[in-house]
Amino acid sequence: MREQKKRRTGSGKINRADSRTKQKKRPATAAAQSRAAGTAVTIPNESAHMPFSPRRAMKKVRKKYKIFSVRGGVDRMFLYVLMALLVFGLIMLFSSSYAVSYFESSGSKSPSSYNYIRPQLIFAALGCTIMFAVSFFDYHHLHKFAFPVLGITLLMLVAVLTLRETSLVPRINGTYRWLYLGPINFQPSEIAKFALVLIFAHLISINYDKMETFRYGVLPYGLLLALIAGLVILEPHVSATVIIVLLAAVMLWVGGIKKRWYLLALLLAVLVGLYMFFFTDKFDYAIPRILGWLNPFNPPEGMEGDTWQTRQSLMAIGSGRFFGLGLAQSRQKYLYLPEPENDFIFAIVCEELGFIGALAVIILFALLIWRGVIISLGAKDKFGMMLGIGLTAQVGIQAILNICVVTNTIPNTGISLPFFSYGGTSLIMLLAEMGVVLSISRTSNVDKI
Amino acid sequence: MAKGTTVRMWRRVCILLVFMAIALGVVIFNLIRLQIIDGEELKRAAIDQSLRPTELTAQRGTIYDCSGTKILAKSASVWTVALEPIHIEEKDKPVVARELARILDMEEADVLELVNKDTYFTYVKRKVETEIKDEILEFEKKYGISRGIQLIEDYKRYYPYGNFMGPVLGFTGTDSQGLSGLEYQYDSELSGTAGRLVTAKNAVGSDMPFQYEQRVEAEDGYDLVLTIDEGIQHFLEEGLEEGIANFNVANGACAVAMDVNTGAILGLATKGDYDPNDPWTIADKEVQKEIDALPEDEQEAAISAALQKQWRNKAISDTYYPGSVFKMCTGSMALEEDIVSEETTFTCNHSYQVSGTGVYINCWSTHGTETFVQGVCNSCNPFFMYLGEQLGPSLFFKYFEAFGFTQKTGVDLPGEANTIYYTADQLNPVELATESFGQNFSITPIHMLAAAAAVANGGYLVQPHVVDHMLDSDGNIVMSADTSYKRQVISEETSERMTKILNQNATSGTAQSGYIAGYQVCGKTGTSQKILEDNLDPTKKHYIASYCGFAPADDPQVALLIYFDEPDPKINYYGGTVAGPTFEKCMKQILDYLGTERKYTQEELEKIDTTAPSVAGQTVEDAVKTVEDAGLTVKIRGDGDTVLEQVPAFGEELPQDGTIVLYTDSESTETTVKVPNLKGLSLSAANQTAINAGIQIKVTGAALTSSSSISQTQDIEEGTEVKPGTVVTVSFVEPDQVA
Repeated sequence: MREQKKRRTGSGKINRADSRTKQKKRPATAAAQSRAAGTAVTIPNESAHMPFSPRRAMKKVRKKYKIFSVRGGVDRMFLYVLMALLVFGLIMLFSSSYAVSYFESSGSKSPSSYNYIRPQLIFAALGCTIMFAVSFFDYHHLHKFAFPVLGITLLMLVAVLTLRETSLVPRINGTYRWLYLGPINFQPSEIAKFALVLIFAHLISINYDKMETFRYGVLPYGLLLALIAGLVILEPHVSATVIIVLLAAVMLWVGGIKKRWYLLALLLAVLVGLYMFFFTDKFDYAIPRILGWLNPFNPPEGMEGDTWQTRQSLMAIGSGRFFGLGLAQSRQKYLYLPEPENDFIFAIVCEELGFIGALAVIILFALLIWRGVIISLGAKDKFGMMLGIGLTAQVGIQAILNICVVTNTIPNTGISLPFFSYGGTSLIMLLAEMGVVLSISRTSNVDKI
Repeated sequence: MAKGTTVRMWRRVCILLVFMAIALGVVIFNLIRLQIIDGEELKRAAIDQSLRPTELTAQRGTIYDCSGTKILAKSASVWTVALEPIHIEEKDKPVVARELARILDMEEADVLELVNKDTYFTYVKRKVETEIKDEILEFEKKYGISRGIQLIEDYKRYYPYGNFMGPVLGFTGTDSQGLSGLEYQYDSELSGTAGRLVTAKNAVGSDMPFQYEQRVEAEDGYDLVLTIDEGIQHFLEEGLEEGIANFNVANGACAVAMDVNTGAILGLATKGDYDPNDPWTIADKEVQKEIDALPEDEQEAAISAALQKQWRNKAISDTYYPGSVFKMCTGSMALEEDIVSEETTFTCNHSYQVSGTGVYINCWSTHGTETFVQGVCNSCNPFFMYLGEQLGPSLFFKYFEAFGFTQKTGVDLPGEANTIYYTADQLNPVELATESFGQNFSITPIHMLAAAAAVANGGYLVQPHVVDHMLDSDGNIVMSADTSYKRQVISEETSERMTKILNQNATSGTAQSGYIAGYQVCGKTGTSQKILEDNLDPTKKHYIASYCGFAPADDPQVALLIYFDEPDPKINYYGGTVAGPTFEKCMKQILDYLGTERKYTQEELEKIDTTAPSVAGQTVEDAVKTVEDAGLTVKIRGDGDTVLEQVPAFGEELPQDGTIVLYTDSESTETTVKVPNLKGLSLSAANQTAINAGIQIKVTGAALTSSSSISQTQDIEEGTEVKPGTVVTVSFVEPDQVA
């Protein structure tokens, strides 16, 4: 009884809030809303959604979305912050990679310091081009891509698991995470993040009203998440799994599922944890890691090598003090800190530019997230909203987790820093995704600063 | 509010943003903690791990002889060749191995093994000369090899004189640390202070590109200027070698010359020594052969023993019974205590009964009634036993101690041996009697020499030393030897009296083999039987023949001790016979070298040698006149008008009544005669033999003052073809003198 009542009141509240909004801003749109929620491709009269944009009001006649649309400008603020991050990232990539590059190529005919920055610049240029192209592309077409992208992603994830040790899936750093398709190579787990955001945004936007139900609000997402995350964790790629689970949690949270599911998930996690603690030996393996994480300078026996990277990272961060050693003046990048050009690039930022530089990076990411959230919240429909939130969350989660790893706030796991870390295909993916956010911003109801 | 967004979405997004803000807050808090609070500590840790100190080698000081210009030991740059195999390209490896093996004179397979190692650094060869380094650089250039071969500067010690005063100089090890001799004694002064170059290195040890270095310059070691004179050292080394050859000395020898007034050692030669440039090679080829013949498991110990022996500085590490040489000390004590005067008489009946005991000790001869002076000249043991008895144990020991025999002399060389002696209360009559003539206690040659210097210089015990002063790299004197005396042992008067007696001994006594005309030599011989030790053959007797003396008598300057360890008893083993001639030869050279004025007695003037005038190139007539004016006889060979050649040549010594042969045509200059055997003859027989052979002899040693002496050595060997008139130096000794 009580439960029923509660649910009623809960939904009632939401309905009230909804109707209040509608009453204030645009009367008689209930039907339109339900249509919009039901079929994404046939979006009704736009002017009804954008009462405050006189420019858009002029275009109310438009019924169908074109593939490329230049309606409205992109959000400049988002673009500027993004470009700032990209340029900052490229500069820091060069600074942090040239010693490693030179050392790695020192045995070869032509030692070079540019083996990282050169391809990254090319990929950045390519990525920017793709990003702008995507920003003109009407994101609603992505509705159609949701399932195909998911299908392809699942195929690739299965391929990575099944085609190990072939030329397609070579062993890299002891794991099988990469697909080598001719000249391009990438991690399907990266694409899985996008696929998850897309399919969730798609499903949530069409089923938004039923999000509080188990059948439409939890079960399909749970199954999809289990499928994708399951395949990724089998690789095994724990950090990507964590990001995918967090992304799903964020999207479902914003999508409006009941809070109790989170409690349930938490409870489940605790139970699984307890099971593993008492009935498996997983914890025997984890405890020294946790101790190593807590005392990187005095690790338990056998963990000296595993905590080396963390130690070096902390020394790099500490060396920066307030103003840093100066751009390009890092000591730790001279082969002390492993992967200074990749997962640990933020440590080099801290070392060379000090607390000020680190804060600048954090503020830029915070601005990007804030702007991404504003764009999403202003999106003219739930698909745009969910897509924007998902993509913004992906950048935000990765950035925060990366910085947490580098500062030893959480245990060391391989998460790259968006726009900074080396990686051509992932940079292109990221910029294309940002292109989608820019696309959303074109029709988003925000003051485009 | 856009249509897509519901209030719930807004609220939930805001909650997410709060989570994000908390996460960022935590991160920023951590950054503040790491960068600002713990930053200094972490920064230091980062710097520490990247800083590698490189030692800057300080150049080891140079060792000079007393002139301050002749270099006895010097460091010069050499190179260590090392490889960084990991940086050598695979295709270059065979070339590198082949070429390095060729340049460094190594086995190619060995080098190839090093080249193929999977390491960052490995040594190939150390102490490589600069020319070889240049060759390697050239090879690198030729094959375009830019990485992988490292040449590190190092220093190597050079001893320009080779096998010369090795046990004094010592040698250094691979890290330039002094291992023996002066190199060891003055190691810290010579080695200086290594500097440090602190540079930042990357994790694999190569330099970082940024300026980050701190340089503490190396402070070069001090230079040593010795009291040893290279010239005097040469005389001693040559003299010993000759003596060893003449008497087939089995166990090496040493000779020490000392300035009696300062204790400065002018020369210290040890034979059976080695080349400090190559200390690990057994210098004596015979010994090496013997070792090679040994079974393999015994070789290592034998090599080690042979090396220890050749490195040993006998003058300060060997202990021996000084024998009759010590009588100069006992005599001084007795004179000082007024127990005897020069004229006191004593009767030697060959055998002497030690008072209060039934012990009889024999003299080497029977001397009958003799004065004290004669007693010294006869080296009469009973006389000195009697003197010892008169002194008594406590007085004897007081002087024994005062002469410095109970302590190390403190000479600035490593390895000085402890002396072995009886203290005053241990000296029972027999021990006292034997000690009185120099038996039954062990001292080192340097002890004996220091005591002799005290007898000579007015009674002052000086500090023997070999380093005169030390210079820093700017030439400032940083240390000067203390030349003050330790104490006065006997009075100046006693010293003077004893000097006179010893002068007489060297002129007409048992020590006359050391006589040098005009230099008023004072000397005392010593023959001591070695204490039987494990390493000695008990079926044979082993002797040490020594001669210790100083000159000139009126103002003693130089004391010299010659010490032969185990001369062949089949030839001779008496101090006067074995060590005397060497003493004479060395002392004469030293005093000549030092420019000491010769003061001849009337008697000596008659026998003095003269030097040949220069007549070559003159007309025969002029030449004959010049030679005759010099009081010499002329012999002309050939029919020419001018003198083409003269024998002896200008400046050579010849007897006062000698002959100069003038060659006037080319035919005559080609005539030669054979040198006859001149050993084992009396003076007149030797003279006759020489005349018959058409040569002349110059006499040294005992023959100058004694008629019973016989010739012992000749400086040009029998059978050598020489020009008629050539002067052969023949040394004479008094036969069968024991002590």
